Amino acid sequence: MTSPLADAAQSNGQSPPPAVWAKGLTRRFGKQTAVDAIDLAIQPGEFYGLLGQNGAGKTTTIKMIVGLLRPNQGTAGIGDFDTWRQPLEVKKRIGVLPEEFNLYERLTGAELLDFTAAMHGLSRDDASSRREELLALLDLEDAAGKLVGDYSRGMRKKVALAAAIIHRPPVLFLDEPFEGVDPVSARLIQDLLRRYTAQGATIVFSSHEMYLVERLCTRLGIMQRGQMVIEATPQELCTQMGVESVEDAFIVAVGRELTSEGLAWFDGSSGSRPV
Amino acid sequence: MLWLGWYLSGRLVDLHNSLPPAAADEFSLWTSLLFFVGWVTLPVVIFPLDEGLDPAQMGVFSVPRRRLLAGLAAASLIGPSAVVPIMAIVANLSLRTPLVTIFGLAAGAVYLALLAVTAQLFTASISAILRSRRGRDLAVFLIVGIGLFSFGAYQTLSARVEAVGLEDALMANSLAGIAPLLFPVTPQRAVLAASNGQWVQAFAFLVLAVAWIGVLASLWGRLLGWMLVTPDRSPRPDRNRRKKGLADSGPWNPRAVLARKELRFFVRDPRMRLVWTGTVIFVGLAIAVLVVGTESMSEIRDSYWLPLLAPAMVLFVGLPIALNQFGWERNAASYLFVLPVKTRHLLYGKNLAIAAGLLLETAFLAVLLAIISRSWEVIHIVPALAVSAIGCQLAVGNVVSVITPLRLPREGTDVFSQATEQGFLAMAAQLASFFVIGLLLVPPAVAVVLTVDFGRVVSPWVTTAICIGWGLLLYGISLWVGGAILKRRVPEVVGWVQVK
Repeated sequence: MTSPLADAAQSNGQSPPPAVWAKGLTRRFGKQTAVDAIDLAIQPGEFYGLLGQNGAGKTTTIKMIVGLLRPNQGTAGIGDFDTWRQPLEVKKRIGVLPEEFNLYERLTGAELLDFTAAMHGLSRDDASSRREELLALLDLEDAAGKLVGDYSRGMRKKVALAAAIIHRPPVLFLDEPFEGVDPVSARLIQDLLRRYTAQGATIVFSSHEMYLVERLCTRLGIMQRGQMVIEATPQELCTQMGVESVEDAFIVAVGRELTSEGLAWFDGSSGSRPV
Repeated sequence: MLWLGWYLSGRLVDLHNSLPPAAADEFSLWTSLLFFVGWVTLPVVIFPLDEGLDPAQMGVFSVPRRRLLAGLAAASLIGPSAVVPIMAIVANLSLRTPLVTIFGLAAGAVYLALLAVTAQLFTASISAILRSRRGRDLAVFLIVGIGLFSFGAYQTLSARVEAVGLEDALMANSLAGIAPLLFPVTPQRAVLAASNGQWVQAFAFLVLAVAWIGVLASLWGRLLGWMLVTPDRSPRPDRNRRKKGLADSGPWNPRAVLARKELRFFVRDPRMRLVWTGTVIFVGLAIAVLVVGTESMSEIRDSYWLPLLAPAMVLFVGLPIALNQFGWERNAASYLFVLPVKTRHLLYGKNLAIAAGLLLETAFLAVLLAIISRSWEVIHIVPALAVSAIGCQLAVGNVVSVITPLRLPREGTDVFSQATEQGFLAMAAQLASFFVIGLLLVPPAVAVVLTVDFGRVVSPWVTTAICIGWGLLLYGISLWVGGAILKRRVPEVVGWVQVK
């Protein structure tokens, strides 16, 4: 598989446009600036890790790119299409793994996948066969007839991932896709995603699991207080920060010192004892 | 609440004073009972359970069980609604002698404590049912049951009073004899005994009331203890309810699949079921009024035009859904709006489902009203009038839904809880839209009236054409306008309907 975005650009004799891009993307909530003039250019085939502490602006950035949140300034898009001018064209080309409670809890897993497939214009036969394959791959066959509301956290993540990829989008946005997922399924999904990007698809991946980021991502963007502070490959990041792992590099990059000073009452150094 | 308390207390004193002593005593016992039942049950039905006082959340703190129960019971008396029983107690005491009033103060305090503990026991029982999703689904029947029971009880009491008079009704249905067993009236029985100078009996009743508090508190404590250590019950993991997906059968295009998704939601969501069963409750009450009602009611019951009321009744049912189509999506709105569907198709799919539900309810109701009135003369006008009514409702609903969506509580909370921060503008828009729907229905209504009355100057065929044409015209315009507005407002709609 090659990326449809890259195919289109090559047929026009141009260099392919970034699969995901943002220019001066800014979002303010009252006086607080959640995302501050972010520029992004993620190329087709990249497995891009969008990292940051809680409240750094990762989810807000993704929401603006996929059209769920209007930016105060700047714009974003997918390939040749601007999210805010051609929303339908953008939405046809993306798959989004939503937060776990944003699914249709009153549909069964099978119904949720069929619904998503229909909205993406898949034929009935394609929808049915892809649904069965995805449910089998993700070990959800036995739960296909259960309401999503009755699913465990990991099962919700898995069915949401299946829904995000059922139409084989060239760009995937994954927000903490492995949270609560069992190790066997997690490994399966990781292999699947790696194969997917190897064939030209682009993945924007947001996670706090640094070992997964290190294992999967080809490039990282670290956000802090709404700004993009560093963009580099995992190896470049470790070299720049002079550390061994992405986790250590991330901590250095966001400028946090690991200290628990001031909690003497908690660690017992003040002489206090647990109740 | 102050006004309500003042009004009810005034009525209580007036009625009490107009009765002979024996009947007045019975009257005060009955009042005590009705206040009690109303105060304990109404908050559960009308108001949300206070999540800040959720015992499950408090159970993690190291508060002794007895202190936790006392705190929760006392907290339930902190609120405007407590004004009503307190004023009733004060009014009751004003009817007694000074010495009895002092005793009555203690009995009043016991009555309030009994109220608080019983209310907590009732709420805890409801919570025990609501804590599982299956329980929350069943809660729909609870509200229907309480509503129908209250209506039935009111009809029975008022019919009895109308038949034999208040005094005879009270004397024939004495509570004084069963007061020791009927704990809501035990404190009042103590006050009555004190009024009659039977002080030993008065103190015995007061001690009995305190004992009742102990029994109920013990039950409540046991229930709370069970709830704190028993996990929520979910359906069995191996339960395979519906193996088929949407692709296995039925129409397959984005609009139709969206409508099918909505229809499933109507059936499976307890709040939606509550809205849709509104018609059933409405019909139940209407039939009860028509059957047990007065002479003027029988005139309505025998009217040949009764089936024409069906589309109007169904308007009330569809209103909360049609005017807030995206509010019902709740957090799933962010799922829906990343799918590549034209906004007009989104509205159309949702409209299809709502129209199907409303047409079904209209048909059911029209046939029922025709049976009650024993008249099928105008039934052929009902389908056209229904199309017109539903068309007007969806026409207004599409525009209001995309301009002022209302935030609903998160799915999974109990069916009675209300969302906050809805905003005055949104509420006003919802109210105003109801009147606009009424105005839009004037032309088809006039045509229908001229077809069934006033010399029947308009042919039924012309009326059918006017009704259907008018409904479809307005609906078509709204679909176009609503779709265009929604296209520009997707982020605002998503932001507004999502529950944080």
